[in-house]
Amino acid sequence: MADEKTAKLEAFRKEVRAWLRANLPKGWGTPEYKVLEGFTQERHDLGKWWTKKCYEAGYTGFGYPKEYGGIERPREEIMVIREEMARTGTPGAPSSLGLLLAAPTLMAHGQEWQKKRFIPKIMSGEESWCEGFSEPNAGSDLANVQTYAVRDGDEWVVKGQKCWTSMWKFADFGILIVKTDLKAPRHRNLTAFIFDTTSKGFERRPLRQMTDESEFGELFFDDMRIPHANMMGEQGRGWYVAMTTLTAERSMGGEQVVSQQGGEIRLGSGVDNLIELARARKRFGKALWDDPVYRQKIAQAAIEEDAYRSWGPAFRAKARKGGASLGATLSFEASVSKNYWAESRQRRAMLIEDMLGSYSQLMSGSKHAVAEGSWVYEILRSRGASIEMGTTEINRNIIAERILGLPREDSAKKAQEK
Amino acid sequence: MEFGLSEEQDMLKTMARDFLTKECPKAHVRKMMDDEIGYAPALWKKMADLGWQGLVFPEEFGGSAMNFRDLAVLSEEMGRALIAAPFFSTVMLFGLPILQHGSDHLKREFLPKIANGEMVGTLALLEADGDFWADGIRAKALKRGNHYLISGAKMFVTDAKAADYFLVAARTQATDDPENNITLFLVDAKEWGVYVGKLKTMDMIRKQYEVTFSNVNVPASHIVGELNGGWQIIKQIAVQANAQLCAEMIGGGDWVLETTVAYCKDRVAYGAPIGSYQGLKHRLADMYMELEHARPLMIRAVEYVREARTDAELAVSMAKSYCADVYEMLTNNGVQLHGGIGFTWDHDMHLYFKRARWSANSFGNPTYHRDLIASQLEKQLL
Ligand SMILES: Cc1cc2nc3c(=O)[nH]c(=O)nc-3n(C[C@H](O)[C@H](O)[C@H](O)COP(=O)(O)OP(=O)(O)OC[C@H]3O[C@@H](n4cnc5c(N)ncnc54)[C@H](O)[C@@H]3O)c2cc1C
Repeated sequence: MADEKTAKLEAFRKEVRAWLRANLPKGWGTPEYKVLEGFTQERHDLGKWWTKKCYEAGYTGFGYPKEYGGIERPREEIMVIREEMARTGTPGAPSSLGLLLAAPTLMAHGQEWQKKRFIPKIMSGEESWCEGFSEPNAGSDLANVQTYAVRDGDEWVVKGQKCWTSMWKFADFGILIVKTDLKAPRHRNLTAFIFDTTSKGFERRPLRQMTDESEFGELFFDDMRIPHANMMGEQGRGWYVAMTTLTAERSMGGEQVVSQQGGEIRLGSGVDNLIELARARKRFGKALWDDPVYRQKIAQAAIEEDAYRSWGPAFRAKARKGGASLGATLSFEASVSKNYWAESRQRRAMLIEDMLGSYSQLMSGSKHAVAEGSWVYEILRSRGASIEMGTTEINRNIIAERILGLPREDSAKKAQEK
Repeated sequence: MEFGLSEEQDMLKTMARDFLTKECPKAHVRKMMDDEIGYAPALWKKMADLGWQGLVFPEEFGGSAMNFRDLAVLSEEMGRALIAAPFFSTVMLFGLPILQHGSDHLKREFLPKIANGEMVGTLALLEADGDFWADGIRAKALKRGNHYLISGAKMFVTDAKAADYFLVAARTQATDDPENNITLFLVDAKEWGVYVGKLKTMDMIRKQYEVTFSNVNVPASHIVGELNGGWQIIKQIAVQANAQLCAEMIGGGDWVLETTVAYCKDRVAYGAPIGSYQGLKHRLADMYMELEHARPLMIRAVEYVREARTDAELAVSMAKSYCADVYEMLTNNGVQLHGGIGFTWDHDMHLYFKRARWSANSFGNPTYHRDLIASQLEKQLL
């Protein structure tokens, strides 16, 4: 029985491999292949093309009902697909944020028409999304958003500004958290909307990151109109919609995007690559892979990767069994995975820097840069991991206060009361 | 050993702080990041007028006859300001070896020019493998009468585009022992056959280059130190450079901590300054604790080099590996505690973050130095 199952899975693995070989861009994975960098139209289009291809082959779009464009497959096969994609690396999704956060939020809070209209195009990669939450004075303290919307007939008129918005440039739609009530208490005064980035009164600008690119940007709303029908969840319940989104993105390790998103691919297939790097890099003429210091560190990276990957299934088992009794604390568990991901990724980047030595300074575009500078990029980019999707500190607070039940910090408590 | 500063050193520190605040603010530094040579000759001249380039040179060569600790006071301030000027290259990597090992003739020719701000120099040492060891040096110098012809490709050469002269390490003899066949040459950057190619590096302030030498003609009189005696000098350069680099890192670390503390007092989230939350308080306290242990290691290293003690190398390796780890930790936290804004190009934190990476990976990274330390400790036991 077990043998038969294994044999079937192995056959499926062969099929996936063959499909990837036939469908990945020509030369993919070879040194000659020119990997696209930066947040350009060309790269966005490539991701779009690739996602569509995968979708048509039934290799993405898992975890959602058929009527919303979801694709059904046995769990084991999904794992095989992800593993194989992680192994070869893939051109990535055009905007992984649709998959990472918009789709789960729509599932939880979207009206029926919204689910039918938006989720299928997220699955197929045709439409991209962004998350308009943070503002200059509302980051960790998200409840403090000042962007404001007033009702005008069948529409809402939005005024304000969002910042640090990832994937701002090519987003077709965004989830927006705005204040809709000046009198209601904190957490009860916010509402969530779906907004269209082609709306009048909407403007977006790049923000330059320490990586010297503009993955995130600023959004400006100058009396931008949103149809009332685009409200997600109820009026005044935007905080809870936002929490769903944040939970979804923080638990990415367990879900969908693992094999879709550039960064996660690196974490997913990282250990093989680390070994390859350690074999190729020599110090004093000796391969680093033969040096116990690096063997130890790479072994540790492998352990952390497996622990990180195992969290998803273990969490799902825990949720299945004790869902009801665990109750509200369950949704906070995503913080555990998110922090682990960020910190493990950063430790790995420090190891990469150590292995590269002098070469850790050569950026993408430089002569002699190792692997087109992708390792060095990771040294910089990984620092954002502990800030985006809720900072490490905020997630630690959540773990301590919401899961472990420790008393709230005094000043935070006071602010809550305000 | 004196850990504190003398009155003169205090004055030097204050003067340097004031000067750099006024003459080399971040706006200037950022402008120089995109500049072809990376420094403003006018600033360089002003520094020379203050006697900085020649700080440790004897008066007869236009210097101020101050010592290695005094120099570290300057380095600290330069690290804090992220100075956009080839001071580290010109003084630590070029001027000092000429002062310590050059012939009288070379000293008279080069040192006054450096002190006057008329000359920029740097060291062309590492090659393709990027490691600090004699075997990595494959450039060759062939004797032709009274001249040598140098050929080879040097990597990670700091400030090469700004340099008028290179101190080049090349092999002068075919033996199995690379530590005894390397010679240091002074090479005119304008000489035929010298090519400087830009490398796109993380730290855009202290620029690095690839420099190739193709049958470059150098007079035998431009040898610094003994023929085939270069490696010992190079080791000394690295020890001195690392000691001064530690001072730079401490200066930069001070900026990072001060800036982050100020931000945490100022920035409000959940109705209170973020610095009032213990999660951040503890991080900041850790940063201070680490910095205050890195600082004395740095001072000890500088003082041991100044006194030319035999255990200076060990003290420097300890300081280098520790200061580099601490500086990286400080800048990691500096970015983190600023939140989204800390991850931007416009905030200055990333400039320090990147300098910390350059500092850690130049002249041996922490892992390399811990290896050296272990070997030295073993030797002490024997
Ligand atoms: C690469 C990147 C991508 C991003 N993408 C998006 C996006 O797509 N959409 C979006 O809406 N936002 C995005 N963000 C913004 C991100 O969510 C915020 O930067 C983050 O929530 C922190 O908010 P802040 O920047 O205002 O920092 P602050 O909230 O001011 O925090 C500053 C520091 O204080 C700490 N702190 C704050 N409160 C506490 C407390 N109570 N206890 C302990 N420590 C505390 C924080 O951890 C941090 O270290 C992105 C950020 C980055 C770096």
